[in-house]
Amino acid sequence: MKEADRIRVPMREQPVKDRVKNFDSVPLGYSEEEAMAEARRCIQCKDRPCMMRCPVNMKISAMIETIAEGNFKEAYLIAKEDNPIPAISGRVCPQESQCEAVCTMGKKADAINIGKLEAFIGDWAMRNGVTEELHIDEKDKKVAVIGSGPAGISCAVDLRKLGYQVTMFEALHVAGGVLQYGIPAFRLPKDIVDCELSYLLKIGVDVRLNHIVGQNVMLDELRREFDAIFVGTGAGAPRFLNIEGEELMGIYSANEFLIRVNLMKAYDFPEHDTPIVCGARVGVMGAGNVAMDVARCAVRLGAEEVYILYRRTKRESPAREEELRHALEEGVVFVELVNPTRLLGGDDGWVKGIELARMKLGEPDSSGRPRPVMIKGSEFIMELDTVVNALGTVPNRLFLGRTPELETTGWGAIKVDENLMTNIEGVFAGGDSTSGGATVIQALGEGRAAAASIHNYLSGR
Amino acid sequence: MPHRITRKEDLNTMDYLIEVEAPMVAERFRPGNFTVLITVPQGERIPMSIQKAEDGKITMFIKRLGKTSIELDGFEVGDSLESVIGPLGNPPEIKRYGKVVFASDLVCGHAENYALCKALQKIDGNHVISIQTFPTKDDVYPTEELSEAVCDEYYLTTLDGSRGIKGHYNDLLRDLLYQEKVDIIFAGGDIPALRDLSKLTEPYDIPTIVTVRQIMIDATGMCGSCRVFIDGEMKLTCIDGPMFDAHKLDFKDIINRLSMFKKKEVEAMEYYKSKTGAR
Repeated sequence: MKEADRIRVPMREQPVKDRVKNFDSVPLGYSEEEAMAEARRCIQCKDRPCMMRCPVNMKISAMIETIAEGNFKEAYLIAKEDNPIPAISGRVCPQESQCEAVCTMGKKADAINIGKLEAFIGDWAMRNGVTEELHIDEKDKKVAVIGSGPAGISCAVDLRKLGYQVTMFEALHVAGGVLQYGIPAFRLPKDIVDCELSYLLKIGVDVRLNHIVGQNVMLDELRREFDAIFVGTGAGAPRFLNIEGEELMGIYSANEFLIRVNLMKAYDFPEHDTPIVCGARVGVMGAGNVAMDVARCAVRLGAEEVYILYRRTKRESPAREEELRHALEEGVVFVELVNPTRLLGGDDGWVKGIELARMKLGEPDSSGRPRPVMIKGSEFIMELDTVVNALGTVPNRLFLGRTPELETTGWGAIKVDENLMTNIEGVFAGGDSTSGGATVIQALGEGRAAAASIHNYLSGR
Repeated sequence: MPHRITRKEDLNTMDYLIEVEAPMVAERFRPGNFTVLITVPQGERIPMSIQKAEDGKITMFIKRLGKTSIELDGFEVGDSLESVIGPLGNPPEIKRYGKVVFASDLVCGHAENYALCKALQKIDGNHVISIQTFPTKDDVYPTEELSEAVCDEYYLTTLDGSRGIKGHYNDLLRDLLYQEKVDIIFAGGDIPALRDLSKLTEPYDIPTIVTVRQIMIDATGMCGSCRVFIDGEMKLTCIDGPMFDAHKLDFKDIINRLSMFKKKEVEAMEYYKSKTGAR
């Protein structure tokens, strides 16, 4: 191997001093030449571990091979065969723990930058107006897809390609689910989300916004009107800690913070109406991707000090490597081994600080990570004026509460069988609504698997 | 789907009525439901009470208070809103309660007063008493928008006594409850007044159900902004409410967090004025 091939073609990024003042994309994307150079590093190994490890089994090595040849259109069509939204998943997938983790090249040198190549090819198609030519053999069976996030998108696309009449129901005023309300524009530019979503309309999916199943449309009605239903309602409800002080002003769920910033564009207040109050000293509880997103939004909203408060250490952080690196580069401070015990307020009703207990790592728990153990009497107070809870979400009980006939686990995840069918005949589910909170790509994978099951079900197989 | 404004009238110098096309909301509306409006594409999602839902249209009472309500006041009949979403919320059961009171002192409360009285009055065995409070005689809504025609017993009060009975609905209720047995009280409007109502009815052990106005964004249970505490347990106004048992509500928390974005609201208003020259 040539020495030069050992390292990745570097990804150009917005300089830190600029990007902390805007919500534009941090990575600037590969040029055609850069993408070809990176793709040529791939040795086209026979085993294709990247594809095996991919939750949607994208034909990654074939895509890379065609990029290396400069045949971008072909590469795009290959990506699109298994992944309806490559420009999105290329940006938000945890590649370092999936395809890139098992890359043969990665054993001796830098793994191929699969994520950035995937994003490149999605962007290239968008810029050049390239789309697949589809010949859809129309079927008269109708399928309802509830939720327009990643799981719903992939399920709808696959079913539509098979010819089913697909209607998608979205509760919010824009489609995209977590891609719109959750992931900030500096990580996933919204024009890219809009463009990938416009594909749904183009192939004939009927997208109905402001339709809140369980509230203004009932599952029963859908069961009467549709031959099958896919539930991809995500895990969009906040989980609070139930600690003292959560009622104070200046306390947000990560969901509220991100919905204000991303969906309602509070970073552009007052040009956009929805405000956000972000103080000078911000604490974010949790250390996953959502926590990084909140912390980096807070930096951009002008916070002077932003702290990630985590009960384990950086090593155990579930965040993508790139998000963690970007956050740290942007001045976010990672406070390890602390656990919030209460929130402290002033007479004015605003949060003034947080009481944290020091933790130490014990024996591994069920997740395989060392269990954090509280050190008695170690509590200390950190002054903060905004606190955001990014400790995870749970499935939304609006839908579940109004559809008691749907069986769930104790914590509200929808129960499904090996074909992703729920206890109700013809009603399937996937994505975060069944898993509780995972990745975009896993949701895409389950959406696809559910589409295959629905196809089998409707064709009597 | 365009949401065309079909009627718009002043109720007094501060409040106006607006009727918009919203077939989905109208068709599925139950008294006590609310809607979320988005006026313009860059607008906020703003919860609104509904007075009437008929013929594919809903009617709302709106106070010229913040940026969105003032901007919406600039809309005319024939103009369209960006989105009218719902119906939302978990309304109370419309059933036989016996002697029912609905008391209100602000726009949203007056709208719900009308909607609920109208529905409850139709149930056999209910005797529906409506009480509406306005600051002065000049603030009283046109007769056809008051709840007088949709209840069995009606009281109008003004704070200065310039029309109807002098005082707040709580003053009237203090006397009324002393004299007669009431089975349930519903109320909506100013939150501190609802807190006072709760204190007033608690010794009588009268079920008291009040509409909580807490800050909302998605209004579908996602953001948690509208959380309230019922006997210490967290509930969401958007999907569990907006009507809650007043005797169990933590009013201090509600009143406190309602002011979280006050400064920003002023800023939004100033910006809007500077941009449009609105006064």
